Amino acid sequence: MKMLLCLLALFLTSPCLATEDNTLKERTRDILNKVDDLWRGESSYAVVSMQVKTEHYSRNMRMEGWSKGKEKTLFRVLEPLREKGTMTLKSDNHIFTYLPKTDRTIRLTSGMMMGSWMGSHLTNDDLVKEARLEEDYDAEISFEGMRDNQQIIEFTLTPKADAPVVWGKLSLIILADGYTPLVEMYYDEDMALARTFIFSGMKMLGGRERPAILRVTPADKPDEFTEFIYEKLELNIPLSDAMFSKASLKNR
Amino acid sequence: MKLNQLAWRNIWRRKRRTLITAFSIGFGVMLSVTFTGSGDYTYTQMIDMGASMGMGHVTVEPLDYQLKPTLDKRLSETDTLRQQIFALDGVVDATVRITGQAMFASARKSIGGAFIAVDPAFEKPDNNLLLRSLVEGEMFAEKDGRGIVIGSKLAEKLHVKIGKKVVYTTTDAHGEIVSNIARITGLFLTGIDMVDGNMALLPIASVQKTLGYAADEASVIAVIISDQRHAEAMRDSIAALPQAKNAAVLTWKKAQPDLAGVIAFDKAGNYISQFLVGLLIAVGILNTMLMSVLERNREFGVMMAVGMSPGTLFRLVMVESFWLAVVGLILGIIITAPWYYYLYYTGIDLSGTFGSDFSYGGVLVDPVFKARLFRESIIAILAGVFLLALLAGLYPAWRAGRVPPIESLKTI
Repeated sequence: MKMLLCLLALFLTSPCLATEDNTLKERTRDILNKVDDLWRGESSYAVVSMQVKTEHYSRNMRMEGWSKGKEKTLFRVLEPLREKGTMTLKSDNHIFTYLPKTDRTIRLTSGMMMGSWMGSHLTNDDLVKEARLEEDYDAEISFEGMRDNQQIIEFTLTPKADAPVVWGKLSLIILADGYTPLVEMYYDEDMALARTFIFSGMKMLGGRERPAILRVTPADKPDEFTEFIYEKLELNIPLSDAMFSKASLKNR
Repeated sequence: MKLNQLAWRNIWRRKRRTLITAFSIGFGVMLSVTFTGSGDYTYTQMIDMGASMGMGHVTVEPLDYQLKPTLDKRLSETDTLRQQIFALDGVVDATVRITGQAMFASARKSIGGAFIAVDPAFEKPDNNLLLRSLVEGEMFAEKDGRGIVIGSKLAEKLHVKIGKKVVYTTTDAHGEIVSNIARITGLFLTGIDMVDGNMALLPIASVQKTLGYAADEASVIAVIISDQRHAEAMRDSIAALPQAKNAAVLTWKKAQPDLAGVIAFDKAGNYISQFLVGLLIAVGILNTMLMSVLERNREFGVMMAVGMSPGTLFRLVMVESFWLAVVGLILGIIITAPWYYYLYYTGIDLSGTFGSDFSYGGVLVDPVFKARLFRESIIAILAGVFLLALLAGLYPAWRAGRVPPIESLKTI
């Protein structure tokens, strides 16, 4: 009888534990998706200015961008005039660059993936991998509560064993209220900080308050940074798939 | 006839002059042995070294791979082909490999480089320079594991150590960009900056999976042979295999044109300096023989007067040259033997003048000056010097036959 009770208890608790585990996972995924959708939505149009400062040069750029789903992104440079019309198309795993001066579309090869994207502190590979976070990492909520007078949630993303990522872990801190991201930190394998993404400058964008400034700082060069400032954001607008094809690059 | 004896006695009538000339011939032999011997040794060493850097003495690769080495080109059924090649006479080793370009990335940096995907079961320190130069850690053990062995300069640039993660990104068989991770099991340091800062060894089965290759598809079969000089013959016999008809078979000269160029250039320089040395020796012999002919004008006149034909006189002087050459060669062998012995076993250490990068034409060179002669080279040197001595004797001999008897008898 006792035995039976034990078994019963086991039966009852185990699925219960599992669902709890699942809901936790679901919640994690849910929040991360919401964070992800903050700028993207189903589709989006944005005007962003980019400021890059390195030891050797600094540059300012304004560009407009469209996105559809997670896999399709298109950027076009507006300023400076010299580079106006230069486009970057990210479609699934591929990145194409179109240079209006030469009227050429280049598909980035594997060797160019790790190169810097338009002179910034982001690589072409970052653009591709950014959409694959869910595939490459296991996410869990590592802290939830008050920190620095803010109600926050901290996620720790650990790369899956066979995921081709260089990082040791990612840590993402968001505001519990509204799921607004604050900081994203990339650690190398020795768990030393490699680079930091800081989100700030809350502003009305696309109908609600969102952080308008994203600043990327490499840990080994604290004086350098790349800053993206959203000037305009429209979400869930009708965009055709054809816009994100290689052929459309030339016609724009 | 008595001509031989006469000539032999003639050359020893002036012992000192003959000896000096013989020594100059001997010295020529010594110089020639030094040049040729160091060439034979260094070139063989460079070629063998180049062969162990990945491509072998003879390389079997996909058609047109040489012109455009992209990873969509590949050999199929490499295992059978490898076995057939291995069964050929003179083949020391045949290994299946995939070579390609890749981007290596760590959290800190990403660097473009090249990889050789290998099966650890077939790679040994003597057929793979990179394994011979391991300085830390060890070779990965599984061909489908996640190991990687990288150059220590590359590791330095990536800021990684043994056990750390490296992501390699490359273009697969269908032109797609693919990446995979590997953990460093070993570091090598060859001394060639190009290799230490660029190259990595990866497990072949993992790379095949990443690239979308079948299990017996690869881009290269590297064949190591026992004597590098037979590379052309080996190429022909491999190309004749029915399995190899859809593949390009190249010797190291085609697979490593920069190395072949360096060697050809060096050889040409070597030939020119040998030619100049030969010319000097020939002029020396010519001088001696001409002197001895001119000072024997009267003697030749008498010989002709008593009935010796100009042809016999010509032959007499030629035989004298012959004996002089023989004496010179024997002397040459006597003085060269200890020198050659020294160069063969000890050599002259030039590491002080080389700096820290002992590479030349992209391969590692032993900083010790050593000499090893091929049997053909020995014969070529001896025959060459001998022929030179005979050639130098031609003009004096011709002069001897043209001595006018009456005039020469009138003069003292």
